[in-house]
Amino acid sequence: MSFGGGGFAPGPIFGGLGGQGGQNLPFAGVPEELREKVDRVLEDEPEISKQAIEFHPENYDRRPFGLWRFLAPHKVALGGALGLVVLETLALQAGPMLTKVAIDSGIRAGKIDVLLGVALTYLFLIGITIFTSRARIIVTTRVGADLMVRLRVRLFTHLQRLSLGFFTQEKGGVLFSRMTSDPMSLAQLFHEGLVQLAVQIFTLLVVTGFILSLNVKLALILLVSVIPAMTVMTLWFRSASADRFLAVRDRIADVLAHLQESLAGIRTVTAFNRNAYTTVEHRNIVGDYREANEATAQVNALYGPGSEMVGILGQAVLFFVGGRMVLQGELTVGDLAAFILYLTAFFSPIQQLVQLYSVYQQGGAAVVKLREFLAIVPEVSEKADAYELPPIDGAIELENLDFSYTEGQQVLRNLNLQIQPGETFALVGSTGSGKSTIAKLVSRFYEPDRGTVRIDGHDLRDITFRSLRSQVGVIPQEPFLFASSVRDNVAFARPDASDEEVLAACHAVGVDEQVLKLPEGIHTMVHERGVTLSAGERQLLALARAFLAGPRLLVLDEATSNLDLRSEARIEQALDILLEGRTALIIAHRMATAQRADRIGVVDQGQIVEIGTHGELIAQEGRYAAMFETWASAGTTEKEDQ
Amino acid sequence: MNLRVPANTRRSGSASTGSDPQQESAAAGEAHARFAAPRGKIHPDRDLGWIRRLWPVVAGHRGIFAIALGASIVSLLCGVAVPRIMMAAIDQALDHRTRALSGFIFLIAGLGLVRGIGGYISRSFLFRVAYAIENDLRVLLFEHFSRLSFSFYDRVQSGQLISRANSDIRTLQMFLTFGPLMCLTILSFAAAIGLMLTISVPLTVVTILPLPFVAILGARLGRLTFPISWIVQARQAELATTVEENLSGVRVVKAFAGERSQIEQFDQIARQLQWINIRQAEVQAANAPAMEAMPRIGTAMVLLIGGWLTMEGHLTIGAIVAFTTYVVMLQAPFRMFGFFLMMLQRAAASALRIYEVLDEDPAVVDRTNATDLHNPSGTLEFRNVFFRYADGPRVLDDFSLKIPAGQSIAIVGRTGCGKSTVGRLLARFYDVNEGVVLIDGEDVRDFTLESLRAQVGVVAEDPFLFTAAIHDNIAYARPTASREDVREAARAAGALEFIENLPEGFDSVIGERGYDLSGGQRQRIAIARSLLANPRILILDDATSAIDVHVERTIHEKLGDLLVNRTTIVIAHRLSTIALADRVILIDEGRVIADGKHADLMRTESRYAEVLAHFGEEEEKEVTP
Repeated sequence: MSFGGGGFAPGPIFGGLGGQGGQNLPFAGVPEELREKVDRVLEDEPEISKQAIEFHPENYDRRPFGLWRFLAPHKVALGGALGLVVLETLALQAGPMLTKVAIDSGIRAGKIDVLLGVALTYLFLIGITIFTSRARIIVTTRVGADLMVRLRVRLFTHLQRLSLGFFTQEKGGVLFSRMTSDPMSLAQLFHEGLVQLAVQIFTLLVVTGFILSLNVKLALILLVSVIPAMTVMTLWFRSASADRFLAVRDRIADVLAHLQESLAGIRTVTAFNRNAYTTVEHRNIVGDYREANEATAQVNALYGPGSEMVGILGQAVLFFVGGRMVLQGELTVGDLAAFILYLTAFFSPIQQLVQLYSVYQQGGAAVVKLREFLAIVPEVSEKADAYELPPIDGAIELENLDFSYTEGQQVLRNLNLQIQPGETFALVGSTGSGKSTIAKLVSRFYEPDRGTVRIDGHDLRDITFRSLRSQVGVIPQEPFLFASSVRDNVAFARPDASDEEVLAACHAVGVDEQVLKLPEGIHTMVHERGVTLSAGERQLLALARAFLAGPRLLVLDEATSNLDLRSEARIEQALDILLEGRTALIIAHRMATAQRADRIGVVDQGQIVEIGTHGELIAQEGRYAAMFETWASAGTTEKEDQ
Repeated sequence: MNLRVPANTRRSGSASTGSDPQQESAAAGEAHARFAAPRGKIHPDRDLGWIRRLWPVVAGHRGIFAIALGASIVSLLCGVAVPRIMMAAIDQALDHRTRALSGFIFLIAGLGLVRGIGGYISRSFLFRVAYAIENDLRVLLFEHFSRLSFSFYDRVQSGQLISRANSDIRTLQMFLTFGPLMCLTILSFAAAIGLMLTISVPLTVVTILPLPFVAILGARLGRLTFPISWIVQARQAELATTVEENLSGVRVVKAFAGERSQIEQFDQIARQLQWINIRQAEVQAANAPAMEAMPRIGTAMVLLIGGWLTMEGHLTIGAIVAFTTYVVMLQAPFRMFGFFLMMLQRAAASALRIYEVLDEDPAVVDRTNATDLHNPSGTLEFRNVFFRYADGPRVLDDFSLKIPAGQSIAIVGRTGCGKSTVGRLLARFYDVNEGVVLIDGEDVRDFTLESLRAQVGVVAEDPFLFTAAIHDNIAYARPTASREDVREAARAAGALEFIENLPEGFDSVIGERGYDLSGGQRQRIAIARSLLANPRILILDDATSAIDVHVERTIHEKLGDLLVNRTTIVIAHRLSTIALADRVILIDEGRVIADGKHADLMRTESRYAEVLAHFGEEEEKEVTP
């Protein structure tokens, strides 16, 4: 269970600023009165621990994803479920037939033993219904849940397999729904679509069979009068409510967006006296939402009572036709009673089947989207005969590199660069010069269009991802922390690291004191609503993470965010410790950082135009010298103002 | 508006052009309102029950509520009567053939029609009432949000407020929509029982005997399912969080080869979700089929005992058919009952959470005899002011300061010395604990908040911009400002160039489609916004900290003209910014410790030089190549 150490602590009603975070997630709002019950449910849960899962970047099921292939492993269980559905429906719908027997053969014939037999059969059939529907629910849920786990893990695994380039092209929201709502639509398709389809179709068949066996003429009249009316009404309801429901969804989204934005900017609203205006704005948006709701309500208000009316009018029709048949002796009273009871049995299947249509649409669309997603081939792939990168010294060699993200916009042009083991090399250059791209190629997030990247003489294309990345540490520009404990974040690359090792890493970068001050030390949860770590602390934790990973070679994209003076100094110290004895490639955004590197390369338009130590480059009086001059003078001009 | 016109002439002109922000915002809103304000408010007495407190809001819609109830009763009586008529038809027209069939057919059809129409009116109006109440609650809550003071928002997470304004109101709305319907269903249950009793007492007893078990099983199911569904939701959220994080943290995952461990974690959560899903189904399977089958035991009993009674001549065949139909009709209320209780509980909890916010009193309000602050000259004074945020340490400690009208001063001091608080007290975002803040010699608390804030503009270091077009953001205080005015304000704030370089210029929506502005750009838009609001007293609270030194200098040149005749307080770190001021104040530990011209202070005040030296260092770090 990963609900955090504090279990199900309820969210604070009005939590203080940066209060005792940690334990509030992910159960930010379990009401106090529910906590005990929730805990009791979870007492029965067996230990669900992590399982080792094989992850191959290359070897995986590449057959196209389809509904049948998805369901096939469970065809025996599904066949069994179908059998249960047939039994369940027969037992359930036999009731009115028994009523007919009781009236015609029991009461009218004056036979008490027939009545007794009918009652006992009735009770027996009730038992069958309970048993079969219980078994059916359990079988289909187990199958459905198993399908879901496998689908989700398969999708997530595929997501992990894809290259970085894919993530930058694709919108996060699209991928998110591919991973969450599409599998849900599929689950819905399975439970409501397939299972309910079977239940409702059998109900229709069985009921039709029963009434035809009672009286063909009356059955046909019922089938052509009430059923079309009900179907037409339900179809109307579906289309009318679908549009209006969409409108409600859009309107409530507007309400929430306005609310969220207004609360986020409430101080600005107040400072500029826009309270009254904003309130009226909100009133208008809420009013639109209300109107959308009312439109939906109209449809509901027509449909519910409307179908009841059709039901009662259907009874009138049955009396009109059936009653005469009884008077003429063509029908028994028991038959008519059975017809009246069967009338409503038609309603629910028709209503459900029409509603199922949208489930099919969504489910079908989900299948297509998932098929497309699973068919995406990672851009950067591992060779079949890729070998493990042996322990490296950290020499980097870039040879004749060409690279472009999109065709025709070349970012790197015939770039060459050699970095010695243990060297700290800084790349400087304006935005868009290509300096960050170089870092991405060295860590093989992307592959060059032409040319070769070698580490200790090994072409990156020939070695496995895992062995490469366990020796090459990449520190992205913005320190990303997962919503889990400090420990898990620092030990990200080595989840099996001991708490001592984690603390040692924190100590090395000098963030251990702050970490120990947190309410639960390294086990404190890091998340947006909880303990607020400063930007500097976040960066230090990201460095601790790299430190613990212990890579031979570091690729560091320097953070651009402004920090206060003290944090800045601490990060510099931490970097010094981190870089010690390692080869480092730094994408420098600050001249101060570049200045401290062993060598500096100036990147311009995809090429290295100057290279050398700080002193050498200043002496050259080229671009670097000019950049340094601008930077240094910015500080001194201010001082001259004094 | 021409921003370069000196303030005094502009003031005389503004009355005629109607660009006085204060007047504009006073008339604001209602003119744009397309919907009426709520008629009732939540009852202020906190000791009343939640429904009693809600009553004034409901009462605002009592007309349609009454219609709905009337129609409901008619329609439910019609529905309940149908099986009774069928019974009569079977017995009298078909079995004994004492009366003609057609009369019954017309009666049933007529009842069906009334039932349908009544049902439509009933539901339509009930829904309308529920949505109207939801609407009122949303508006009331939002109105209240906008009245609450900064100190409230300092201690409350906005996520909490949103959940109250969203999920709690929805829970309440659900109850308001279905609650009355359920009450009506229960009423129809009573009516049906009444009719059944007139037909046969023993058979009625037999029929309803299994029904309490439906209620028991239903309540049990609800009780067992409720915590489970919470866990299901939480685990789904956990799964979604993992996905979300792997999308936004993909670089970290890839950089540290964390793919496999992420998959293993995901797999674990997915299996935990699987377990609870199956658990939910097991609870469902154990109770729901039995619950649904219960009433049919009643049907079996009706056939056996009713049949026997009929053979004995105490009952008719029609009665048996009618009872079989009633059994179906009766089970619905019993099934709903457990659900109804659960909804009632949840609605009560939600209502209390909503009231909790509504009962919160704003800390800063207009005094009863407050007057409008009109065209102030801009003389400011802090007299022995003491202030702390909530229970925090004392920020201003016997702070006194006088600023003549039209002067521009710079406030300097270490982080946390109370610099920013000065501006916040002037605009009455907070009220002083002790002492008094005066504008033109009058206590700021004697002015109306709206007129005061129209004259005091505060530009923050990290300004909030709305997800709206740049034009709308700049024109925030004066939505009616012309495009030319907005352009001029942008020009003065040094923002014109970069705005015009955006593909959609002033119509670019901030935060959308990659129009993510840098800190410096945001600050410039915020300055433009405050310039357009045209306050007499302007506080720039580190408002240019993220702007490039060179750009800042040009902004200050333009601002220099605009600040003439305005009282300006600049809180800054940079010398260039400080140099703009006529006078510099050094604050430490909540008090003024030095006051004078920059050059003099540099010579005479060692602490001043010390603080500035510290800034200088900091500045060097901030500048990027």
